[in-house]
Amino acid sequence: MQLSEAGESRVQGYLFVLERSLNTFLPREVVRDAVREIESHLRERVLTATASPNERDAVERILGELGPPLRVAQAYSAERTIDEAVATGRLVPIVRAVGHLASTTIVGFFAALAVLVGYLTAFAFVAIAVLKPIFPDNVGIRYAAGFPVGLGAQFPLPPGEHMGGGYAIIPFALACGLGIFIGTHRGARGFLSWWRNRRVS
Amino acid sequence: MPLEVWQEQLRRGSLDLAILLTVASGPRYGLAIIQHLETFTDLVVSEGTIYPILGRLTREGLLDAEWVEDEAPHARKYYRLTRSGAKRLAHMKAEWRAFAGKIGRLMEASERHDDAAQ
Repeated sequence: MQLSEAGESRVQGYLFVLERSLNTFLPREVVRDAVREIESHLRERVLTATASPNERDAVERILGELGPPLRVAQAYSAERTIDEAVATGRLVPIVRAVGHLASTTIVGFFAALAVLVGYLTAFAFVAIAVLKPIFPDNVGIRYAAGFPVGLGAQFPLPPGEHMGGGYAIIPFALACGLGIFIGTHRGARGFLSWWRNRRVS
Repeated sequence: MPLEVWQEQLRRGSLDLAILLTVASGPRYGLAIIQHLETFTDLVVSEGTIYPILGRLTREGLLDAEWVEDEAPHARKYYRLTRSGAKRLAHMKAEWRAFAGKIGRLMEASERHDDAAQ
């Protein structure tokens, strides 16, 4: 089947939407290759198809069998970002995959929020351990009127308050930071694994 | 778990094996792989979802991909099994046969029990 201008425009429209969707989470050269492959598929299908009952229906049938461009993009997303994150367990792919889900789904948004809080909390504990030797009087367990009211760093320390815990706060903060980091990381990986298993491709 | 979810998991779990089996006999391009799968199975629900899987198998080093420009009016991307892919395929086939054999024996035992109960 030789495509008319209208048929060609429909195919180009499909490829345009696919490219725009893929561009949001894939590197440019990967998108170019993916779109080229899908275009090759469409050209092959069109070449062997007959304009029956008419060209428009034939093109729609071919595009329907391929699947909507957003669904194809979702399949790339699932295979590329989520599988990479689950398979490798590395921090950057996990953050990227959670970030992608956060921008496309409500569940992903709340999961990303929880992951962000987890990583920031872990970072805060590690920061306490690092800052304690540098600012021994401003980092630790904050006491006001003899009662502990917080943990962290305070610059300057308000009058009547002092920092307790001594240098023992360093291993404590490191252990907490590491524990929270591992917990958050495992939780994020588990969430992505669950997401991958429930997806319908 | 609803039956549809279980069927979907089964289908998805066997797609990698089916694709590797398809290219085991020689290099094939995307549409040829899809058509081969459609001839023998009903694993392809949506054609567009096969390409991301081919991409992943390529990234994992199980397939090699190469664009061929001069074979048709448009370029085709051919996939061939790598040595690592052939090794993985051999393992997957052995696992599949062992798994199917165990489930088969379990079903036979269950059916014998049903017959005896009647």
